[in-house]
Amino acid sequence: MIHVEHLCKDFKKTIKNPGLKGSVQALFKPKYEIIKAVNDISFHVPKGEILGFIGPNGAGKSTAIKMLTGILTPTSGSCIINGCNPQKQRTTYVKEIGVVFGQRTQLWWDLPLVETYAVLKEIYEVSDSDFKSRMDFLNEILDLPEFIKSPVRTLSLGQRMRADIAASLLHRPKVVFLDEPTIGLDVVVKDNIRKAINKINREEGTTFILTTHDISDIELLCERIVMIDKGKKMFEGPLKTLKTTYGQTRSMTFEVDNPKSFATLKYCEQFNADPDDITTSFEGNVATVNFNSHKISVGDILNYTLSTVNISDINVKDSDIEEIVRRLYKGGVAIE
Amino acid sequence: MKLKRIFKMQRIFIVQELKKQMEYKADFLLGVGTFFVEQAVTVLFLVVIFGNIPAIDGWSFNEILFIYGFSLLPKSIDHLFFDKLWHVGQWMVRMGEFDIYLTRPINPLVHILIERFLVNGFGELIVGLSLILWTAPQIAIEWTIVKILLWLLVLPFCTIIFTAIKTATAALAFWVKTSGNVTFMFYMVHGFSKYPVTIYNRFIQTIVTYIIPFALTAFYPASYILRGGNAWFCIGMPMLVAVVLMTVAVFIWNQGVKVYESAGS
Repeated sequence: MIHVEHLCKDFKKTIKNPGLKGSVQALFKPKYEIIKAVNDISFHVPKGEILGFIGPNGAGKSTAIKMLTGILTPTSGSCIINGCNPQKQRTTYVKEIGVVFGQRTQLWWDLPLVETYAVLKEIYEVSDSDFKSRMDFLNEILDLPEFIKSPVRTLSLGQRMRADIAASLLHRPKVVFLDEPTIGLDVVVKDNIRKAINKINREEGTTFILTTHDISDIELLCERIVMIDKGKKMFEGPLKTLKTTYGQTRSMTFEVDNPKSFATLKYCEQFNADPDDITTSFEGNVATVNFNSHKISVGDILNYTLSTVNISDINVKDSDIEEIVRRLYKGGVAIE
Repeated sequence: MKLKRIFKMQRIFIVQELKKQMEYKADFLLGVGTFFVEQAVTVLFLVVIFGNIPAIDGWSFNEILFIYGFSLLPKSIDHLFFDKLWHVGQWMVRMGEFDIYLTRPINPLVHILIERFLVNGFGELIVGLSLILWTAPQIAIEWTIVKILLWLLVLPFCTIIFTAIKTATAALAFWVKTSGNVTFMFYMVHGFSKYPVTIYNRFIQTIVTYIIPFALTAFYPASYILRGGNAWFCIGMPMLVAVVLMTVAVFIWNQGVKVYESAGS
């Protein structure tokens, strides 16, 4: 469905010294530097998959998405989606895709929302009967009727995002690109949007590529993720692999009767472990132990703790994807 | 894309545009009001100026007003329909709002050309037509069917010259991010072409005829209507130049789209 090969995008950026003087200098004697926003990224997405595209701010996610949607022309490399080259066969290609940029809107700002759909119907040449059934479906899954008659400028962010997502789905696209579809939304709206994405993916086999900073989006939606940083691909694979490969860190918390007894807990010495493999933190009467479960077993930690201090409560947490991602972003985990 | 579909989309966009303009009723009414004041001032100014100068370089007051009125026709038609091009150079590229056009199944340039309909444009059109209707009976014009047909024929091409210049200058924004001022600068040159170009020196004549050929949209075709003369040059040249300019403009535009950088999000 989506074949991305050695995709690169360079931007030429003028280097400016601060202040008016710097700006004047840049005007007459510009100095350039080449920024590799996307640097040799390849990946494939089969039909019907929801792929999470993640990475820290400025990693090149949006640039990559903009090349896939045909907005930017790649410096080198290629992407073939649905058998089309997005730049060369633009008008044919975009009929089959839907695009939502969370920070922008394609809705007609000054008119009631329903007008936007009427125009998009014509733009995408959707037939009357198709349009009606599609609107019924979208109304239901995205709860549009409560605001469909209001001018777009009066919509809340959550309403606008749902409206924008509906707009991108109107023509039954085969591939949908969502750039930060849940940014700035409350839990209820996020949930609503995730359900809608899942439903459309299941019922229509629509392929989704979504970028997000919300780890729950990834956990609840994506089978596979591609992680990029500084324009390079850092990881590609199922979420499970990420968890088992990098998620050996598990976390246990103990609540003790007497915080003073923490002093007697010396995990490093006890297990003769590398300080990277086990870390502890104490707060109030709660001790948190993060450890590498490949090297130290949960049982050993439990036994040692129980035999050393008096415990009133215990909590064992599974690999926390958020923690993994945080460590990956910081470069704390070695990538093969 | 089929022409029929383009016209259909244009009709739909225009209806939306009118709805939008009426959504803000006060603004709409004020706009219409200010516009009439503006045009009245322009005409009054012309009457005062030309009332004091009976003839320039052999062109009578009425003939000059006729040329002036003629020059407003293609300008106003372009203004009515293709005003959105200004936005490309002013902020659409800089703000990354051009993204949307690239994700729609309509050629982006066509989309932008047909999207907007600026009611203000009617003003210039009405003033232009009024000037022509007012002055024409007072000039001894030899009216022939051929003349009228040629006029109708050349008018769309004169409009295309405007649209092409706007397209080309707007497309510069793809490289330099904002180019509204460039378009504005070209429009300033249009000021010269409202009057008979024979009153200028060779340098300005060459510029407004061949370099930024606004004279081809007004003086030359208008002088053919007024006094006859070389139809090949006065009517044929604007048509030829319109086609050449538009081809060049579309080429620049297409090259520009390839280097479009969007904006961070």
